[in-house]
Amino acid sequence: MAGGQPRVQAPGEVAKDEVFEVRTLITHPMETGLRHDPAGHLIPRNIINSFTCRYNDVVVFSVDLHEPMSANPYLSFHVRAGQSGRLQFIWEEDGGAVFTLEKPITVAA
Amino acid sequence: MVQQRIGFGYGEVLGRLLVEKRKHGLLRFSGGYMQAYARRTLLCGAFGSVLFWAGADAADEGAAEQELVQRLVGGPAVPSPLVHVQIPPVFGNGYSVPLTLIVDSPMTTADHVRTIHLFAPGNPIIPVANFRFTPQSGRAAIATRIRLAKSQTVIAVAEMSDGSRLMGRAFVKVDIDGCA
Repeated sequence: MAGGQPRVQAPGEVAKDEVFEVRTLITHPMETGLRHDPAGHLIPRNIINSFTCRYNDVVVFSVDLHEPMSANPYLSFHVRAGQSGRLQFIWEEDGGAVFTLEKPITVAA
Repeated sequence: MVQQRIGFGYGEVLGRLLVEKRKHGLLRFSGGYMQAYARRTLLCGAFGSVLFWAGADAADEGAAEQELVQRLVGGPAVPSPLVHVQIPPVFGNGYSVPLTLIVDSPMTTADHVRTIHLFAPGNPIIPVANFRFTPQSGRAAIATRIRLAKSQTVIAVAEMSDGSRLMGRAFVKVDIDGCA
């Protein structure tokens, strides 16, 4: 199972220089590579190994995830409002699969 | 401290002996005093040993932590009250333990948190995640959920923009161990 259903909760409109919270979730088994299947074979590692948040194409926050992150990794973080534009969220899986999501953001003058 | 206590005990015994001498007109070694003295010395000794034991234990743990941090981040980290590791002290399910990391920082270009490294030393795989911040992050604060293989002290090391490393820690007891 590859998973990869991203969800993001972020305000659509914020005041200038306001620091707002962004909450993200993606469905993913985060297989550690330490478990065995019932036949005794090692289940290969398959995790989301990287998360990036870009704000108008500038990286504002990123995470390197390792095996001890829970399945369906949840991340809450903060962003300071600059210009109106878009927030991009990028999850990268072992093996190169990429899941992305975009949110428009309006900054009140 | 132990020295002082023994000294006090000795002084007290001497004082009592002198009072005794004045009362009876002779210096008499009362068995009771000697017993009290012996008991006090023994107690002080035991207390001192416990202190030494606890001290050595904490020092050992601190040294092991520092060694781990040195190995994983490539340098020493200073324990700091600015790094808050918020985790429930007891949590039922080790597969998904909620955790909040906050580092008190103005998050300006000149003074911000670059990275927070999160470690679970009791897991088969110790590094949990690295969170990379920028001044545009606004706040060095994240919340997530992690797996813990057993009850343990979780360690967070914050790398600041001036190159310093601050450390925070929190102990968490998990009832059901999560395969990490």
